Amino acid sequence: MISRGERVANYVILSVFAAFALFPIVTILSAALGPSDSGPTSGLGNLAAAWEIGRFGTYLRSSLLVSAFVVVVSVVLSVMSGYAFGTMRFRGQSALFYLFMLGIMMPSEAIAVPLYFDLRSLGLIDTFWAVSLPQVALSVAFGTFWMRAYFRASNRAIAEAARIDGASSWRILWQVLLPPARPAVVTLTLLVFMWTWNEFLIPLIMVTSESLRTAPLGLAFFQGQHTSGFTLLAAGSVIVATPVVIFYLFLQRHFVRGLLQGAVRD
Amino acid sequence: MTRTLAVLTAAALTLGAAACAPGSSAPPAAPSAQPSAVRTDAAALGKVTLTVWDQEVRGGQAAQMKQLNAAFEAKYPNITLNRVSRSFDDLNTTLRLALSGNEPPDVVEANNGRSAMGAFVKAGQLLPLNAYAQAYGWQDRYPESVLRYSRYSADGKVFGEGNLYGLPQVGEVVGLFYNAAKLTELGLRPPTTWADFQAGLAKAKAAGEVPMQLGNLDKWPAVHVFGTVQSRVVPADQIRTLAFGRKGASWNTPENTEAARQLVDWVDKGYFSKGFNGQGYDPAWQAFRDGEGVYLIAGTWLLADLHKTLGKDLGFVLPPGATAGAAPIATGGTGLPFAITAKSPNPDAAAAYINFVTSAEAMKVLTDTGNLPAADTAAQTVPAGPQQDVFTAFGTVTAENGLVPYLDYATPTFADTLGAALQDLLAKKATPQEFLATLEKDYKTFAESNG
Amino acid sequence: MTASRPPGEPRHIAYLYLLPAFAVYAAFLLYPIGRAVQLSLYDWDGLSLGRWVGLDNYLAILSDEGLRAAFGHALVLIVFYAVGPLVIGLALAAILNHAKVRGLGFFRTVVFLPQVIAMVVVAVAWRRVYAPDGTLNTLLGALGLDSLTRGWLGEHAFALPAVGVVGTWFETGLVAVLLLAGMSRIPMELYEAARLDGAGAVREFFAVTLPSVRGEIAVALTLTVIAALRTFDLVYVTTRGGPGNATSVPSYEVYHRAFGLSQIGSAAAIGVTLTVVIFAISFGINRFADRGVA
Repeated sequence: MISRGERVANYVILSVFAAFALFPIVTILSAALGPSDSGPTSGLGNLAAAWEIGRFGTYLRSSLLVSAFVVVVSVVLSVMSGYAFGTMRFRGQSALFYLFMLGIMMPSEAIAVPLYFDLRSLGLIDTFWAVSLPQVALSVAFGTFWMRAYFRASNRAIAEAARIDGASSWRILWQVLLPPARPAVVTLTLLVFMWTWNEFLIPLIMVTSESLRTAPLGLAFFQGQHTSGFTLLAAGSVIVATPVVIFYLFLQRHFVRGLLQGAVRD
Repeated sequence: MTRTLAVLTAAALTLGAAACAPGSSAPPAAPSAQPSAVRTDAAALGKVTLTVWDQEVRGGQAAQMKQLNAAFEAKYPNITLNRVSRSFDDLNTTLRLALSGNEPPDVVEANNGRSAMGAFVKAGQLLPLNAYAQAYGWQDRYPESVLRYSRYSADGKVFGEGNLYGLPQVGEVVGLFYNAAKLTELGLRPPTTWADFQAGLAKAKAAGEVPMQLGNLDKWPAVHVFGTVQSRVVPADQIRTLAFGRKGASWNTPENTEAARQLVDWVDKGYFSKGFNGQGYDPAWQAFRDGEGVYLIAGTWLLADLHKTLGKDLGFVLPPGATAGAAPIATGGTGLPFAITAKSPNPDAAAAYINFVTSAEAMKVLTDTGNLPAADTAAQTVPAGPQQDVFTAFGTVTAENGLVPYLDYATPTFADTLGAALQDLLAKKATPQEFLATLEKDYKTFAESNG
Repeated sequence: MTASRPPGEPRHIAYLYLLPAFAVYAAFLLYPIGRAVQLSLYDWDGLSLGRWVGLDNYLAILSDEGLRAAFGHALVLIVFYAVGPLVIGLALAAILNHAKVRGLGFFRTVVFLPQVIAMVVVAVAWRRVYAPDGTLNTLLGALGLDSLTRGWLGEHAFALPAVGVVGTWFETGLVAVLLLAGMSRIPMELYEAARLDGAGAVREFFAVTLPSVRGEIAVALTLTVIAALRTFDLVYVTTRGGPGNATSVPSYEVYHRAFGLSQIGSAAAIGVTLTVVIFAISFGINRFADRGVA
């Protein structure tokens, strides 16, 4: 069906593109793992040196704390609001839903400026809340949309049966509907984790103390701070990117599905 | 969907308009009054933690800071230091945010210019240090020509006189780093006149060398190159008026045009390293360090890093004048001054820290770690070589009052304006006239409104 | 919106389930955007009392050369972030869907990878690639193309396209995988019918494949166009808007004006304008796709 020439051409095109996709990644990896241009280290020793000099331990810790908080809170809130939108009828339903939809497209640049000045007058700047709550707000917009789509498509008969048995709506949500929703929740968790981990602007503006800096910020500052070579900067990049990449490699299905369906309107 | 959007927009607008004008609920500026009683007995202050933000990230600077901080903590066991160091760029961008926060750092290195220290003084975010200067005798430690770079009027309008808001640690002068081995190879000697220097560049180019390293991706590095060229042809007092953002000078002068033209001429002749606008500042000096390039126009802050690798092959001279005997003129002054934030709960401990890192012993530590101390330069003994070159240069130029300030001090937006305009000029996207018109607009707008 | 409504009577308890999410959402997203609109009508330095200037900040977007340029640059980025990946993605997806290629899983993993890497890391990597002594120039040198080497991020003509190529790099995988998913849902019968009509591979692509993935194309365009308009981290880490202002973009201007130059009103106006533009474009793209399907 497919000629030999065409097959070869296909492989050539795909290989060229794969090479393009890998080129910057290989650039970083080879610099990070090769002999250092500013010290005696090489290989994994570079990672250790960058970890030490760039204080990545502290940064990863803040990233982890912020991500964990944002993930847990926004997933729980999204499950609840998605449940309401997906299984119940109430006045103002579609207006409220569209209101949430605005948040999916809202650029964080637009809200970051007023948020900064309002939080400053409340004395909340440079706190854990200033960096995490705005990200919860951005995440529940998508989360609500995502969980609503799931609950609408879920099996109503089971929920109805439970209702007739006298189960409260609270119990139906957590004990009947949620267990089979695990894949959808996992996908949401992974996406929110990735967005929070990689977020740059909000932590850049909202926190200034070292103990609250997240990893991408730490890396951006390390770039200016470590002036004597590229190796350790590359090693720092690897450290910052690795957690999400590992999740991606093992749970690729969820990432692809989430990112692709994320914007599909029903 | 459209209707919903319209309703929402209307709702958002009402929400916004209902609130009061921005700034009406802003935190009140801290009182600029002097603390009632200044205490200099730091050991008796009880347990204190000081957060210090500095930009001492380069080799020699990082080393001295580490050493001095350890000595300070040893001398005052009751005071713990929480040090945060950042690059010059990152310190600039984050300091503004940090100072408006609730718990700003206690001690910060704030750039002298109007975009940083000037703005912070205006906002009441820095503590006037007059009382501490008196108590510790800082005016005897540093000459007024150094202190004036950290002086502002209390409302931040006048730069160069008034209250003292910071104390610098290191001296700085921008000059010509050269690779001595390469000069010898080319049959050249360190230049004694500006024409001599340019002839050397031509010779280096002809011999296939990179005449001058430059990495201007970060926008500000070319400011130092331009300042150096400018101070060859523009009278020093004019440069000072321009750089302090005072009325009475102009960018649109034949001399400034000549300076801009000379810079473009260097680009045309290929004197700068290839792709300089796309090269970072650090990779550029690293390339010079690794033997690529005959000259590097840069400040003395690179001394320790360059010396470490180049050793005896590194040399430094002040930018020469028209004749060998011309009075020395160079861009420079001091490193970023250390200032105390107005909200700091521990101003006494903070002042003790600043006093410590600028003391005579500190100046010795600075010297030993390859830095250029802001004071007592003559009192230090340094081995012959690049460090001695630098010390001699600084001594000569300060003795003859030949330092002119960094041009980016001028207005709150000038660092930005000048950086972008220079990138345009060097890439020949702007003619010297257009370049100067851009600068004139920023300078005039500010100088007029500032009164 | 013809999907079935949820069953049952209207229920007040629904509001309770919505309340926590809505409270956070309203406080940290809806209220700030309202405040952004308000701030955009003032001349404010972030400290002293603001001065009412009406629509001046918005008029400045039209009249100020630098700001107009920033929005112009965003349009250029759209070409690199959206149009480029769409064309390449269509080609890749068509190949992957058509030919039974070995190593499909590996290929998909690789092309999608850029999507999950933090933009700061992406920027650090590409800054290295583009440096005068960076890997791109080394590669060109090895190919004997020394005349093409340059400081990519430092030349006015190349800096913006160079930033754009980074966008093409990380969006193409997403678009290709998205389109591939759409194409794999096209019934084989459609292709067989086209073939019976004597259609070649090219005509088959335009007659069958392209119309069938119209919805996916709309989604891909929406995602990538928004990403292009929101470019911030990349510019912040690579060029800070330089050389000159050749790579300044609206998102960067918002940050720069608010926190670098203390022109809060102007920053807010740019942010609000950006939001409106994003809403308008995604609304337009989806309207276009819907009409095509109907």
